[in-house]
Amino acid sequence: MKVRTYMSQGGILPRGFIERVRRIVGDDHFSQREGDLISYSLDYWLYGVFLSQKGDLPALPSAVISPASAAQIQEIVRCAGEYRVPITPFGGGSGVLGGAIPLNGSVVLNLQRMSRFLNLDEASLVAEFEAGIMGANLELELTRRGYSAGNIPQSLYCSTLGGWISTRAAGQFSTKYGKIEDMVLGMEVVLPDGNLLNIKPVPRRSVGPSLRDLFLGGEGTLGIVTRASISIHPLPGLTVKQSFIFPSIEVAVDVVRQVLRAEARPAVVRIFDEAESGRYFPGIGRKVVTIFISEGETEYTTLDARVIRRISRENGGKSSGEGPVDIWLKKRFDIGLGPVLMQYGGIVDTIEVSALFKDAAKLYRDMVAAMKAVEGTLEVSGHYSHFYREGACLYITFAGIPKDPLRYYQDTWDAAMKATLQNNGSISHHHGIGFWRIQYLEQELGTSGVRLMKSIKDALDPQGILNRGKLVDGGR
Amino acid sequence: MSMAEDKKETEKIGRCAMCADMCKYSCPTYLAAGRETLSPQKMARLILYDEKGLLEDKKDFLDLMFQSAMCGACSRHCIYDDYDLRKFIHRARVKAFESGVIPEDVRKRVETFRRFGNPNGERKLIARGAGDTGYFISCSSYKDEDLLKATEKMLSKSGLAIRRFGGGDMCCGAPLYYAGDMKGFRQASLKMKAEIEKKRLRRVVIDCPTCVKTMTEMYREIGVELDVEITHSVQFIEGLLKQWKLRFRRNRRVVTLHDPCILSYDLALSSAPREIIATLGFNLKEPVYTKEHTHCCGGAYGAKIGDHRLKDAVTSMRLNELKQTGADIYVTACPTCKAVLSEINMKYITELVAEKIVAKR
Repeated sequence: MKVRTYMSQGGILPRGFIERVRRIVGDDHFSQREGDLISYSLDYWLYGVFLSQKGDLPALPSAVISPASAAQIQEIVRCAGEYRVPITPFGGGSGVLGGAIPLNGSVVLNLQRMSRFLNLDEASLVAEFEAGIMGANLELELTRRGYSAGNIPQSLYCSTLGGWISTRAAGQFSTKYGKIEDMVLGMEVVLPDGNLLNIKPVPRRSVGPSLRDLFLGGEGTLGIVTRASISIHPLPGLTVKQSFIFPSIEVAVDVVRQVLRAEARPAVVRIFDEAESGRYFPGIGRKVVTIFISEGETEYTTLDARVIRRISRENGGKSSGEGPVDIWLKKRFDIGLGPVLMQYGGIVDTIEVSALFKDAAKLYRDMVAAMKAVEGTLEVSGHYSHFYREGACLYITFAGIPKDPLRYYQDTWDAAMKATLQNNGSISHHHGIGFWRIQYLEQELGTSGVRLMKSIKDALDPQGILNRGKLVDGGR
Repeated sequence: MSMAEDKKETEKIGRCAMCADMCKYSCPTYLAAGRETLSPQKMARLILYDEKGLLEDKKDFLDLMFQSAMCGACSRHCIYDDYDLRKFIHRARVKAFESGVIPEDVRKRVETFRRFGNPNGERKLIARGAGDTGYFISCSSYKDEDLLKATEKMLSKSGLAIRRFGGGDMCCGAPLYYAGDMKGFRQASLKMKAEIEKKRLRRVVIDCPTCVKTMTEMYREIGVELDVEITHSVQFIEGLLKQWKLRFRRNRRVVTLHDPCILSYDLALSSAPREIIATLGFNLKEPVYTKEHTHCCGGAYGAKIGDHRLKDAVTSMRLNELKQTGADIYVTACPTCKAVLSEINMKYITELVAEKIVAKR
């Protein structure tokens, strides 16, 4: 093939494996065609995307296998174990840390044929889907029936339920509805030995440590999630949009802290720094803008909005009306600038971290300062995108036009991760580890934490069949 | 195309190739096949790689280019306003056609067209009536007697003098355009232009959304401008109903509308058929994927989708989506959709209207 790979080559598959897998899924669903191998070579790890424009890809899969059922996946996994063929599960391919890149000659296990809406339990507010359903279609299925899952990530239109579960994803409405780990009740998982695990959809239980949590954030290294039952909500009767301008990031963060302490639960809370406000809201310019969306049952929502308004005003917030919220709602999925910048040699990426309220504002200052100090930087900007009673997620976007792209990319990430750890933050809030963040994992979890994770991996997947080179499995 | 324009076009496809594939959730071929390779962004990457000479398996690439439904879902949901991936896929199809590497189904269709002037392989001349309003009977509707009878009834009640033409002796040329045969397409467009001029038509009503798009936007692409107002039949009927000020008593029958992809995405005519159904008093039940989220029916293979198995998968997906409403009547506004989705007894919208209108007036 004329495309170049810079991390690993596709492998040569044993003939017996190919024949068996073809029998399992049918000839049409086992592919080694050039177009398929290229298309499943990369997810949305942005440095990889940057390199892909010239035909440089991280790795090509040895084949692409597209099963239609959990039973087929069980057989494929058993066959892979027998022939020691590594498998990389692939959902929407929207992960930004390289979690779906088929390293080490892996075959790709494509879950996109498993995308059905299975069941709606309106009494219990639970819906069941196959793992390969796209987020936007999951929401369409629910909203047409009067419900929403409440998980609306920026990747809604290109990510899957299985991907959300595998990375502990978060959506823009998470302050009210939670992250995906707060939504998933039950799931079906194909284990690395080919056995099927069914985790019942019940609200809570006391039967030892939660097996569910092995796969929430498991990134396909411990099992392949094939279906899941999630909690849903009736569509809101009332939505109230508010925005305020605060004198500083510090004041804005403290206002949100007070709002949540007062038991208000807005669905959306976002604090934009001066740079991002300037981009999003040119009518307001470079100020600290905070937007709130309260939604739900009318009486509660009215009260929620009132509490937000009172606390914001008490702290010097100047109302900027619904306008900024509407602008954000309109622009929130627009990632159009990134590809344009990359065409002109720009490196672009985002980093999301979390911290307690006591550290949240300083983390922003330190992170932005450290990243701006890296040579080649064009812009570093940030917003807080998800809030809890205890703290927040800080989401930083950076761009640079450096002489040495890889050096710049590495140095900027190093600066961001160092600032995060120094401010007691977590190195990832919802994007996960993939392969790129493995280098920082030990600083996050400690030696014991990494050793424990490796022990779990070894116990479940002694041959290292599933998603080799990701999460805990070796470095680059 | 100038070098500057060419560079700009290359930038557009390069931009799409690095996007996050934010439109793929709407792409019917991607969804029906469950195949990342058919997603718009991956198609763009492959087109870019082909232009850069990075692909070895030319046949694989060209086969993929014929697996798009060309429905426009990606364009409708694109984050870039100045971009339509279909133009690039079409450009690849033209190259494939010129180099003689086209799928067998497509080749057969083009050959039939060359012999008969339409993709159906037979000649049935229709030329009736007089007047400066034309009713162009498309290749996808001229054999559908229920549709034709209903539309004829509608037209006869309109009070206008209407000339019927088309019906197998001529075609808008869309099948040739989608096959990449631009020479043949140009000839078809000129034949159409000459026919319209000869008949001195000022307005043409058409029941097929693809014909409407072809005779406006696609003819314009090759510099052929028809000096005539082109109207889709839903616009025509909606106008008549408004003019007649008819209202019907509500009835219990549940109707589900399948939005044809081209009607919804390219012609932006989602509200007209709904207005008609509401006027007739039916109870409209929307499927999950409707209006701007509609899915292509699969269309006629050999024209848009070159792989009949993929076409069948798209059709099957759409049928399942529509069946979920459990409607009493399924209705659409495209003769191809009607034929392709015949399993659920799909009706063309004039069939729904004609009986009631004729009885009332």
